[in-house]
Amino acid sequence: MGTIRIQTVCGFGCGSSLFLKMKIQDILKENNLEAEVFCGDIGTCISTPCDVIFTSEELASRIKDRSKVPVVTIGSFVNKKEVTAKTLEFFQSLEG
Amino acid sequence: MFPIPLKDCELCSQEQKCYAKYTKNMIKEVLSLDNILNESHIRIKEEAEDWEGAIRKAGDVLVQAGSIKPAYIDKMIRSVKELGPYIVIMPGFALAHAAPCEDVVKSDIALITLKNPVCFKSPNDPVSVVLCLGCTDSSSHLDMLSAIAGLLMEEGRIPEIAGADSAKEVIGILSGAEK
Repeated sequence: MGTIRIQTVCGFGCGSSLFLKMKIQDILKENNLEAEVFCGDIGTCISTPCDVIFTSEELASRIKDRSKVPVVTIGSFVNKKEVTAKTLEFFQSLEG
Repeated sequence: MFPIPLKDCELCSQEQKCYAKYTKNMIKEVLSLDNILNESHIRIKEEAEDWEGAIRKAGDVLVQAGSIKPAYIDKMIRSVKELGPYIVIMPGFALAHAAPCEDVVKSDIALITLKNPVCFKSPNDPVSVVLCLGCTDSSSHLDMLSAIAGLLMEEGRIPEIAGADSAKEVIGILSGAEK
């Protein structure tokens, strides 16, 4: 299996998605997990190849039905517990 | 990008040879907190009636700094109306911005705190700290924003900033200094 590609998504791919990207990168490092994390915008994220999309609840509802990959929603980007649990959950789903 | 040094290296007086060192030092300087967010870009206990007013107040700081045109403020507000309050990315904190466009003169960041918190209809309401970001393209501001994101995303940081009584105190909190 190649490198896992995680896309963090916000309105324009240059603001809050960066915050989320950094948080996920921290968590990957702490848990010895490897993945490529990159930012995307809500308009084009569906057509960008990736293995999973992480975004806010508000934006997730706009793409959930059309996305070919799992869409993980994060309520608070600063809540390490939440982001860690959801990141690890995604990695576990890959094994199953 | 960073200006090319035409004079001798300030660190060791060698000409050209330690260009890398010089550049590294300059990058560090450019990315110091003071260059990302200094006191002139912080407003404390601003009064706003609602979320739109809060975004306007934060945007005004960048208009006054000459970094954005007023039209950019309308775009930030429109983006929330179209995409929802997703910019409230953590409790008490909104990251107001729009897509890179010609209304941004230079990539810049401003921070305001609110006297009375406002609601965006987000689960992370009420909001008392608004960071306003203007970017000329989707990459030139990333170092700046990553640096500030790292400082803001510590748990408990936002309430601490919201309670600050001066811009200086906010800088102190962000730089981890003792009060």
